[in-house]
Amino acid sequence: MITAEWKPIPELVGYLRGHQKVLLLGCATCVAECAAGGEREVETMAPLLRMALAKEGSPVEIVTGTLERQCEPEFIEPFAPAAEGVDAIMSLACGIGMQLLAERFPQIAFYPGVNTTSLSLREAPGLWTTRCAACGDCVLGETFGLCPVSRCAKSLLNGPCGGTRASGSCEINEDTPCIWNLIVERAKVRGQLDRLGAVRRPKDWSNSPAGGPKRMLREDLRP
Amino acid sequence: MAAPANDFQPQITVLYCRQCLSADAQPFEGRRPGQGFAAQLVLLPCSSKMQVHNLMRILEKGVDGVQMVACPEESCQHLVGSLRAEKRLNRAQDLLRQAGLASERLGLHRGQGLSLESVLELASQRAEAVRPLGPNPLKGVNR
Amino acid sequence: MSLKASTNLEKVLAAGQFALTAEIGPPRGPDAEVVAKKAALLKGLADAHNITDNQTAVVRMSSIAAAKLVLDAGLEPVMQMTCRDRNRIAMQSDLLGASALGLRNVLAISGDHQRAGAGGKLKGHPGAKGVYDVDSMQLLSIIKGMRDEGLQASGDSLTSKPAFFIGAAWTPLGPPKDFRVTRLAKKIAAGADFIQTQAVFDVKAFAQQLAQAHDQGLTEKAAILPGIIVPRSAGMLTYMNNNVPGVVVPAELIARLKGAADPKAEGIKVTVELIQAVRELPGVKGVHLQAIEAEELLKEIIPAAGLTPRPQV
Repeated sequence: MITAEWKPIPELVGYLRGHQKVLLLGCATCVAECAAGGEREVETMAPLLRMALAKEGSPVEIVTGTLERQCEPEFIEPFAPAAEGVDAIMSLACGIGMQLLAERFPQIAFYPGVNTTSLSLREAPGLWTTRCAACGDCVLGETFGLCPVSRCAKSLLNGPCGGTRASGSCEINEDTPCIWNLIVERAKVRGQLDRLGAVRRPKDWSNSPAGGPKRMLREDLRP
Repeated sequence: MAAPANDFQPQITVLYCRQCLSADAQPFEGRRPGQGFAAQLVLLPCSSKMQVHNLMRILEKGVDGVQMVACPEESCQHLVGSLRAEKRLNRAQDLLRQAGLASERLGLHRGQGLSLESVLELASQRAEAVRPLGPNPLKGVNR
Repeated sequence: MSLKASTNLEKVLAAGQFALTAEIGPPRGPDAEVVAKKAALLKGLADAHNITDNQTAVVRMSSIAAAKLVLDAGLEPVMQMTCRDRNRIAMQSDLLGASALGLRNVLAISGDHQRAGAGGKLKGHPGAKGVYDVDSMQLLSIIKGMRDEGLQASGDSLTSKPAFFIGAAWTPLGPPKDFRVTRLAKKIAAGADFIQTQAVFDVKAFAQQLAQAHDQGLTEKAAILPGIIVPRSAGMLTYMNNNVPGVVVPAELIARLKGAADPKAEGIKVTVELIQAVRELPGVKGVHLQAIEAEELLKEIIPAAGLTPRPQV
């Protein structure tokens, strides 16, 4: 799923200070799964912001709503009436949903309530860990189904750096496994350690975000 | 803006798990005036029924303090219910701190076989904890 | 055997002499004289000197500039290049520039992650965007392609071939241990002519890994220089054992420094013994000696290890 995290509350308060009426909109898809922007989070954030703003003497009316999917126009449309009369919208959706919302209401001030952070797996309750970097050139076929592009801090493609800790963790975070340690383990289980012996050429990043904004076109699906 | 401390009658909402009460205690829901404070008692089937957003909603309505009463960790009827309640309360307190609000307005006590009087005593303790903070500045501001 | 870059280090190794490299960390400022002073201190002690590239992800004078200053001071530098701060365009451009300045030894490494920030001693730049366009293995192959084929990574041609003697790092004792020799083999296949290793304190464990490399013929394809860090106290050894990945310090060595009346003198003794011990191992062609933040000790250690004068080749 796409994961997001609340922006620092003082930053949110700063956005809303001076507004009269704000629509706070969540999304019931990815950001709800990662407990950042679903209905519960909207209904937690709204009172918190109302209190923080009122305490500093600039109360703001905050109305709330949560869309099924903020990244689909047909789900946004029913909220058009709620957007009437508000002078700002704050979204708790991922950056995709946020932008569709901002595009639909270009005349209204728009603010992000969350930072979109990763493509992650809910590994355990309350724990999300990265699985994909959307690099546009998948290497999982050569790395036994474990992604070094997103899960190695240095996106190494030819094995672990010298920073693997004795525990098998990454040098930058004891709680993050060295993915190359795991790739080697899995290769051994499969009896194919030799497959990791060839030098992998520099990666073509042109199909990743580094290659510029993506424009994916399928003529057969075009109207 | 804050009223003099001696005039301040903290309004305390008590959210208590019915399993915390002793067998002979009469569950009570509603308003109970106390010595220098007033309590609003809300009975829960389990303390884990309370979510972070509920706590926020109660606070923004202007109550001065929320006292949760949960079962001891080992005797929760729903096994992890009271543990969840505590984690949620911690989360809510953390959010209040981040927003520059007083986290002391929320509190949790674990207990078992309690009488209604002892539940009210916990409300009194919460009232004393929030008394130095003065009234909730949100009183009357929000709906 | 024809030489690839005819650097002093390469010639010492080609002559079958036991090579010695040391390290010069560039300053956290623009002061050429600081580099010159460090260079003067080490003159005549080692065959080549590693110039680190913003090690521990802390901004320092660029390795390319500091390497040039060291060269001007009459010492031979080994310019380190990490994959953290440059993409393949900048790397190749800097390599051409380095070659133009007369820098011929280059060592390709992944580099400490930008979050390393001097292990918490300094702020560093943990918010920096790491590049990691290519990894150290790929950088090695790029340098080799430039040198041997006169080609850029893309296949575009260079106007002439830069001569480089190419180095790489090896962490023989890091997990996954049974992949580390393969990783060494990959680095050599990618282009490494010489290898400097992570600090060796556990000679026995190192010897086991090295023996595998030796059996695979790797020690003939590249010159292996075990890293030796001068221990100065039991605390330092304990810290490295616990916190520096791939560094394994035997308990008896820590106990030895702990029990020493003069830990500094004992550390020098230990260093000399370590040098002698690794020198005995088949396939070892030299040592890479580091006296972190105590370069002056090298003046004492190197002669004590019988490694002076350095060969004239």
